[in-house]
Amino acid sequence: MNGHPTRKEDFDLYALGALEGEERQAIESHVAHCAACSRRLAEAQGRIALLALGTPLVEPSPSAKERLMNKVRSAAEGRAVRLAPVEPQRARGFFEQWWAVVLAPVAVALALAALFLWTENARLDRQVEDLRATMQDQRKQLDYARVVAHLLEARDTISVSLAPMPGMANGAAKVMYNEKMGVLMYDGWIDPPPGDKSYQLWVVPKQGSPISAGVFNPATSDSAHWLTKVPEGIPVKAFAITLEPAGGTAAPTGPMVLVGPVS
Amino acid sequence: MRASDAALIERIVARDETALAALYDRYAGMLSSVLNRILRDKQAAEEILQDIFYQLWRTAAQFDASRGSVPGWLVVIGRNRAISLLRRHIPSQGEELLENTVVLPFNLESTLAQGQLLGRVKGALEGLPKDQRTAVELAYFQGMTHSEIARCTGDPLGTVKTRLRSALESLRQNLQLETA
Repeated sequence: MNGHPTRKEDFDLYALGALEGEERQAIESHVAHCAACSRRLAEAQGRIALLALGTPLVEPSPSAKERLMNKVRSAAEGRAVRLAPVEPQRARGFFEQWWAVVLAPVAVALALAALFLWTENARLDRQVEDLRATMQDQRKQLDYARVVAHLLEARDTISVSLAPMPGMANGAAKVMYNEKMGVLMYDGWIDPPPGDKSYQLWVVPKQGSPISAGVFNPATSDSAHWLTKVPEGIPVKAFAITLEPAGGTAAPTGPMVLVGPVS
Repeated sequence: MRASDAALIERIVARDETALAALYDRYAGMLSSVLNRILRDKQAAEEILQDIFYQLWRTAAQFDASRGSVPGWLVVIGRNRAISLLRRHIPSQGEELLENTVVLPFNLESTLAQGQLLGRVKGALEGLPKDQRTAVELAYFQGMTHSEIARCTGDPLGTVKTRLRSALESLRQNLQLETA
């Protein structure tokens, strides 16, 4: 899109997240260098944000605020300890006092202790951050594993093998799909696509248009395995991988590379 | 006297914890409501709620309250994160706002203002024809695109696009949000 979006709803639709493919990219690329439209998008984000007020009020539990404030205080206390080594600099003229001879070693010891505490505190901060990151990763992995386990355990999960079409790239893939859960798991390998192309996996329903289930490029990504959510309750007649422009498209436009009919 | 959002942000930048607590009291209910509506999981909603307010605490210096709205930023970031979690995907470009680029057409700094606007938004949504309201709710609360809504409802893509445009136009008129 070279010119400004012509309809005011375009920005609202973008803020709502309803646009996809070229329509979405056109707004993003235009707004990136147009201050006026960037402002219009900010206003659209605000209009759409108001929809949040259409929901029934659910107050968070009191402990949520307590946990937030504890986290903030912990961070603040960490900072106070780090500032401690600066304190001795305020004692100008200190050595002119006779008792300074006695207290000087104490002050040095305190400064060293503060320095040690600062170092230790920084190390513990890093350790806490590492642990927190690890915990978040593990939680994500656990969530992922739960969904995979449900998918594998469900009796109505189907497994479909995708085979290469004649004359197309070599590869093999497998899709596990559960219609009721609306969950799909892909696993496979395929020769890299030519030029600036991507591969796109499609759920081909018995009725209606194909549904995108992931865009990938083996040449630039290691993602040969993923889990994705698709609309629930869609009876499927096949899964297919097509060759598409880089980044994928809203509907298949390129040739089929791998196909797996649902028996 | 009640401090403005901008004044509270300035105090947060100066590391005043009471200012963060005040902003939390002002907007946590509103944000929690939309997170719970999207996720249907109170624990997950509270984790996102805390993360967002902690992010505000850490990065308040980058927030220009004269350019963008605090509650608008909170809601947009919160909704994006909740939908990412719901759909189990990593946010792509445009889904996570890096700047405070949300301009709210109303001031929500008082509970009274939030309550009044809540009534107007509910009324405007309930005033939409059922198919339009469903399309808006699927897009806003489940993060569905035009095509996904079409597949979910079984309606033609063109119908869904027209429906959403009409719904947004009606909402804008009913909420008196004409800005252009």
